[in-house]
Amino acid sequence: MLSILRGFLILTAFLMLGDITVELFALPLSSGVAGMLLLTLWLLLRRRLSHDLGAASQPLIGMLALLIMPGVVGIFFQADEFSGQWLTIFIALILGTLLSSLTTLWLMQRLVASPRERPHE
Amino acid sequence: MSELLLRLESLAHTLPQRPETAIVLTLAAYFAGLRLFNWLRSPAWCPPILLAACLLAGLLALLPLGYTEYHRGVGWLTWLLGPATVALGVPLYQQVHHIRTLWKPIVLTLPPAAILAAGYAVGIAWLLDAPPTVLASLAPKSVTAPIAMGIVEELRGSVPLLMGALLITGVMATLSITLLARWGNIHDPRVIGFALGVNGHAIGTVRAFDIGPTAGAFASLGMSLTGVFTALWLPMMWYFVG
Repeated sequence: MLSILRGFLILTAFLMLGDITVELFALPLSSGVAGMLLLTLWLLLRRRLSHDLGAASQPLIGMLALLIMPGVVGIFFQADEFSGQWLTIFIALILGTLLSSLTTLWLMQRLVASPRERPHE
Repeated sequence: MSELLLRLESLAHTLPQRPETAIVLTLAAYFAGLRLFNWLRSPAWCPPILLAACLLAGLLALLPLGYTEYHRGVGWLTWLLGPATVALGVPLYQQVHHIRTLWKPIVLTLPPAAILAAGYAVGIAWLLDAPPTVLASLAPKSVTAPIAMGIVEELRGSVPLLMGALLITGVMATLSITLLARWGNIHDPRVIGFALGVNGHAIGTVRAFDIGPTAGAFASLGMSLTGVFTALWLPMMWYFVG
């Protein structure tokens, strides 16, 4: 339990660091994202993950779906705001996602395929 | 007796305003959504979060509790999104060895794939004359929710619309990648997993773990990298274009 709290202290401290970085350099980033990048960088430099940090981050990541629920619910109360836009939104999302899925699969497949086979062509 | 009734009445007025009411409702809807999902035999097109959100919306509509009051009450739960976003740095660090072994295809695929994941949808919506708020809300549609929320606030889009967009995108990416991989004869779990993570964020990643651990690892890698990369390029570009 104390391990989780110590890990939570590290996460919150990095959130604060992210806050400070974003404010100081006027970055167009949220402080959470800045904190995440700083944490990754710190871990890469340290080359080891402490037990405390693992103990705190795992349950928090597992809770993500719960934490975004209040935001998701908002759509039911603000649906009127986009009343004339729903068809556009659906077309853009469905067609756009289909196209981007196709592009990613095609690109990655071509690049992962071993380049040693090329000379036979 | 009448005094008790009076107290009951004042309780009915103040109870909905309290944070614990908002939190009890959210947690209860969350667990009910999970149960309903299992009872429906885990349909891929209807993730538990959608079921839970519908239940919660129903509860809020029935109770004398407005969305603004609810949102204020649930504030500290939403605040936890900050540390939870920072926590995503841990799996990102743990995936680094995958970047080392396959860095070339990853480095070459990620930027165009992440830019197009946003670009196609925004482009189509723009051609169909969507207003700037809608465009800003659709742009981070392939980014994992906690990061996407930060981005959409930077772009001045609507958080609720973004949430709906994330849900549709995740479900659509899972369906289309499964079908396209079968159709295109692609079996490499690294390719399928990476595509699921880049386009379908957390919902795609869940599907990738169904395929196998390699696909799952590549999906979480794709999801984290897309999140980080989009958080960096999208707000900058929005400033220059807008």
